[in-house]
This record gives sequence, C-alpha cells and structure tokens, in this order.
Amino acid sequence: MIESHERVDQFKQEIADMKVRDPSTGRDRVWLRVGIALMVVGLGLAIGAYFLSHGASARIDSAGPAEQRDAFIVALSGVTCAIVGGALFLRYSLASFLRFWLARFIYEQQTQTDRVVEKLDR
Amino acid sequence: MNVLELRGVHAAYERIDVLFGIDLEVPEASVVALLGPNGAGKSTALRVAAGLHPPSSGDVLVAGRRVNGVKPEELARRGLCLIPEGRGIFPNLTIRENLRMMTYTGTPEAVIEERAFARFPRLKERFTQTAGTLSGGEQQMLAMARGLATDPALLILDELSMGLAPIIVEELYEIVAQVAREGVSILVVEQFASTVLGVADYAAIIVHGRIARAGRPAELRDDLSKAYLGA
Repeated sequence: MIESHERVDQFKQEIADMKVRDPSTGRDRVWLRVGIALMVVGLGLAIGAYFLSHGASARIDSAGPAEQRDAFIVALSGVTCAIVGGALFLRYSLASFLRFWLARFIYEQQTQTDRVVEKLDR
Repeated sequence: MNVLELRGVHAAYERIDVLFGIDLEVPEASVVALLGPNGAGKSTALRVAAGLHPPSSGDVLVAGRRVNGVKPEELARRGLCLIPEGRGIFPNLTIRENLRMMTYTGTPEAVIEERAFARFPRLKERFTQTAGTLSGGEQQMLAMARGLATDPALLILDELSMGLAPIIVEELYEIVAQVAREGVSILVVEQFASTVLGVADYAAIIVHGRIARAGRPAELRDDLSKAYLGA
C-alpha cells in the first residue's frame, strides 16, 4: 500500500511539473484557413501583377522598366504567397486525412486478422 | 484530491456535438463507472479524459492540474493509461512482442513480463502465441497486462466486457477490483452495468451527452433502466 501511495504522489508531482502549453484545439483548422487565404491572395497578386505589367509605360526611359520591375515583384510575391499557402493547406489537410487513414488501416488489419482466425477456428 | 476531473466539458466531432457540459470526478484510489446506452458519449468522454480528443470547451484536470491541450503520450508517460475499446493490441505480434512494446516507458522488459504474468498466468502459457489467435478474454487480459505493466496511477477502461462471456467478464472485473485495492484510480466505461456496479465506488449515467445521474452504485440501480430504455 505504501508503494501505491508513493506511486500516486509521484504521479501528482509529475503532472504538477509538466509543461502545459496553451490549449489550441482549433489550431489545425486556423492554419488550414490561413493556407487557403494565402493561395487566394497569391492568385490575386499574380492577376494584379499582370494588369500592372500591361498598364506599365512603354517608354524606354526609367519609368517604363521601373513599373515592369514593380510588376515582377508583385507577381513573385503572389507566387510566394500561393506556394506557402499551398504548403500550409497540404500540411494541415493531409495530417487530418492521414490520421483518419491510419485509424482505418489499423481497424481493417484487425478485422482481417479476426476473419483469418475465425476461418482457422472452423 | 481527485485524480481526474472533467468540468463542464463539451466535445464535438467536426460540427456534431457529442458532449454537452459533462462533470465527472474520479477520486483517488477509487473505481468510477461511467454507464449509459450506445451512442451516449461514454467513449468520447474517455477520449477527452485521456487527451485523445480535444474538448471544445470546459476543463480536464489531472491530479488537480488543467491539462487541456496536453499530448496523450505526455499523460501516458506520467501514469495515465487508457485501454481502448477493441483492446488496442497488435494482433500480428506475439504476446511477448506486445508486452515488449510497453518498454517505451523506460520499464525493463523483464519487469514488464514479471508484472504481467503475476497477474495473468494464462498469458505465460501462451507466451509465443500471436495475439490475434488468442480468445477474446485472453486478448483483453493481454490489453490489461500491457496497461498495468506500465505501473499506471490512473487506469481508464473502455468497454472491458465487449464481446466476452459473462464468466470471463467477472474474472476480469475481479482483477480490476484487485488493482483498485492496490491504490490505482480507475475510470471504467461500460454498456452492461450489472458487473461493473459490483466493483465501482461511484457511478455516473450519461445519456445523450449529459450526465443524467451520479452517485453511489446502490442509488443508481433504479435510474439505469430509465437511462437505457428511455422510460
């Protein structure tokens, strides 16, 4: 009995010493939405850059090339946003899918084993 | 002090609410039974308690400490052990290999085997047998042996009796009572109430995601039929 009391005390102590992060139950969902938003923003920036480029001055002086360079930068920012957004979307949607897939895989494997055992028993 | 406490816990699967503000306490060195009909939210409550499912609101307290958001493996490493519905053993591994998996806690294999076989001698006889080829009762014994081998302070059992003959269920609950006497706090979920009420110190009836009634087992026997039959 002394041992079990010691075990309970140890348990309480370990729980008390544990580092507890702030709960973030909806974090995955937030990052998934951030990913989608970044992809949309990226697409918007790329389209915006297209019109910016077409509206740029055609003069061969400093203004025309400068406006074109601005359009390049905006377009590249758009591509970056879309890539980062896509990566976030994949990361958080795949994590959720793979968790489900793993649970299903384990369940199916167990069912299959039960089926084999049942056949062997007959 | 309560070893485990749920305070106003709500939980949902995506947009479907399953638990609606449940309160549940597991005092130190006691057996608490959570009873209720199929689909009442019993297993979800256990998953929330073990850190496997995040509550949408409310608090989960372990040994008086709020542990919302703590990873289940962190709680398991410190002594919270969940034996899930369906036993959670590896059917393609032998008994020995299944027990060896528990060395992740840092407990030596020899100690784990010694503890397991002291309680379940039948497992020793089938040491090298594949877990999937054991009977349902033996599989449940293996699941319990795996859980108990880690020297838990809080044991959570989900539907221990599922698919087992009544005589085996009684045998398993005798072991549960013995473990409780050794000072381990136990929360057990059961659909079939009669056997578990014999070993429980407290019980709670959950219906449609809400605790309908809680108290000593003797006080709840009449309410059980109402909970199950909706009478």
